[in-house]
Amino acid sequence: MTGWRRDLAIGLAVLAALAAVPAFDVQRFWITTMTVLFIWATVVSQWNLVFGVAGIFSLAQMAIFAVGGYTTAMMGLYLDWSLWLALPVSGLLAVAFGSIVGLACLRLTGAYVALLTLAIAYILFLLIVTDTECIYYEGTVCRSLTEGWKGLGRYGDYGFRDWFGRDFHLGNYGLTLAILALATAFAFLIIRSPMGLAFRALRDNPGYAMSRGVSRFKYQLLVFVFSAFFTGLAGSAYAGVFRVIGPNVLQLSLLLFLLSMMVVGGLGRPWGPLIGATLLMLVDETLKEEFLADYRNIGLGLILAAVVVLLPQGIAGGIDNLARRLAIRRPDGPPRRKGPA
Amino acid sequence: MEIFIQIVVSGLTLGAMYAVGTIGLSLVWGALRMLNMAHGVLIAIGGYFSYQAITHWGLPMPVALLVAMAAGAAMGALVYHCAARFMFRNEAFENNIFIVTFGLAIALENGILKVFGGYPLAQPFALQGGFRIMDVWVPWQNVLIVVVSVAVMTLMALFLAKTRGGRAIRATAQNRDAALLMGVPIGRVFAQVLAIAGLLAALSGVLLSSITTLSPQVGFDPMLKAFIICVIAGLGNVLGALYAAFMMGLFEAGVQFFLGVRYALPLMLLIVIAALIWRPYGVFGKRQVTRL
Repeated sequence: MTGWRRDLAIGLAVLAALAAVPAFDVQRFWITTMTVLFIWATVVSQWNLVFGVAGIFSLAQMAIFAVGGYTTAMMGLYLDWSLWLALPVSGLLAVAFGSIVGLACLRLTGAYVALLTLAIAYILFLLIVTDTECIYYEGTVCRSLTEGWKGLGRYGDYGFRDWFGRDFHLGNYGLTLAILALATAFAFLIIRSPMGLAFRALRDNPGYAMSRGVSRFKYQLLVFVFSAFFTGLAGSAYAGVFRVIGPNVLQLSLLLFLLSMMVVGGLGRPWGPLIGATLLMLVDETLKEEFLADYRNIGLGLILAAVVVLLPQGIAGGIDNLARRLAIRRPDGPPRRKGPA
Repeated sequence: MEIFIQIVVSGLTLGAMYAVGTIGLSLVWGALRMLNMAHGVLIAIGGYFSYQAITHWGLPMPVALLVAMAAGAAMGALVYHCAARFMFRNEAFENNIFIVTFGLAIALENGILKVFGGYPLAQPFALQGGFRIMDVWVPWQNVLIVVVSVAVMTLMALFLAKTRGGRAIRATAQNRDAALLMGVPIGRVFAQVLAIAGLLAALSGVLLSSITTLSPQVGFDPMLKAFIICVIAGLGNVLGALYAAFMMGLFEAGVQFFLGVRYALPLMLLIVIAALIWRPYGVFGKRQVTRL
């Protein structure tokens, strides 16, 4: 299959280039920005699997992310676990949470799923923000389980400071890049595997697929649960890298930001999440720096709306269409594959 | 007994406000198959226009209410003309319009934030005083809310049942293609429905902010509750939404009294999830058989 080789080649080249970045004298600001980019790109790549590929309109991704992050923080804070140990455990707890959400939602379709998952995320937010019950006292200061608005902190980090000294941010960069690479590889495996075929069958002809024994519920639940693992890992890495996690990760503006990445990149396109995440981080940085800072959310909202109306297949979709048109025009070009890749 | 009356009074007030917001959402879903995420911001716009009209333009309260409703209707129509009209023929309309209205909502909400600031304001559309039933104090404001809501919903029901425009909306909701073939201008119907929903959202925004405060995010919580009510009733079922709204209002008032405000929404959601596993098409909804 040519698609496989092309994707693998591009993927390895991008990975090698990104891994080589720290060898050059790059400002710490950009390393940190790229670390954030890797975390969001990981979340978006998994969201793209759930929404773009499997067609489940879930808005619970950031709730799953928050479960991963808070798990890590609480393990560090209350159980004194190393954050390295907390990393896989957070992923697994995120999977457990994802399964419950999936079981509750996946009997529904389309808009109902979006509503319920949005409600679940919002309720998690409300419960954290209104959490004021003291579970222990530090001197006379009351500490609650999640610390409400303030969020949790002081649960340690990955210990990169001991290994790299001043250049500890390179450790964070490497860790998030590794998670992103794993998550992207996983996303490609799903898209190109029999499971991906099942999704394509369910999307293109649900009646025939189901009569041949492809169970929609089973496959959707599987992808929901698997993607929750990497989303939880990303949440855990977020908590470890920033050494603080609060309810702000559940805010609507962040959800909108990530949704924009996915939509601008191209829903369901394998490379969409990476393209979209990179582009929107760039837009975001420009909007932040210039006098436009006040208009950041207005701008993002309008961009999102405009892209869906004007370019519904996103940038990756646009590139694909362009490539196909060029391939047709060239008489001795490669034969066109049958059906959508 | 007093506790019971107290719960019924605040439950009916909540229910009336929810009902006004919810039937708008339900109508939009029924006619367009569209989830309007800008609903929450329309609620806020209603509240702010009423504030602006009374405080800065010095208009009397009933006129301010009309101004707010007109603003909501205009914004609703704008959602149609800026976004929905380009998209409703598209196959992925249901998901796309959700994203688009989400984007518009965030943009508008931040627009309000820029104009009015984030500091909570007091809604001047309010009556002072009240009366007693046994030992329970009932503010006139709550009576006003219930009366206005019931009046508007009655007008709405008459419009849908008795007029040509109402019949066109019902026909479009029932079968879009058949309505189109019978000469119903569905584009105009869609714009109308969105304007009506905007009007109702703005109205519920004025009422809602009169017993809480006015802030740019004031609409999000009621929008989510309205969605939950719609899901319970079955999306697009207007009459079911009405029952469900009052049920939810009473339920919320009860939970708030016995368990605390914090648990009202989570418990509501748990019930919804249970209800959906039991009847995925809504408690009052009909099972829909789709042909492939």
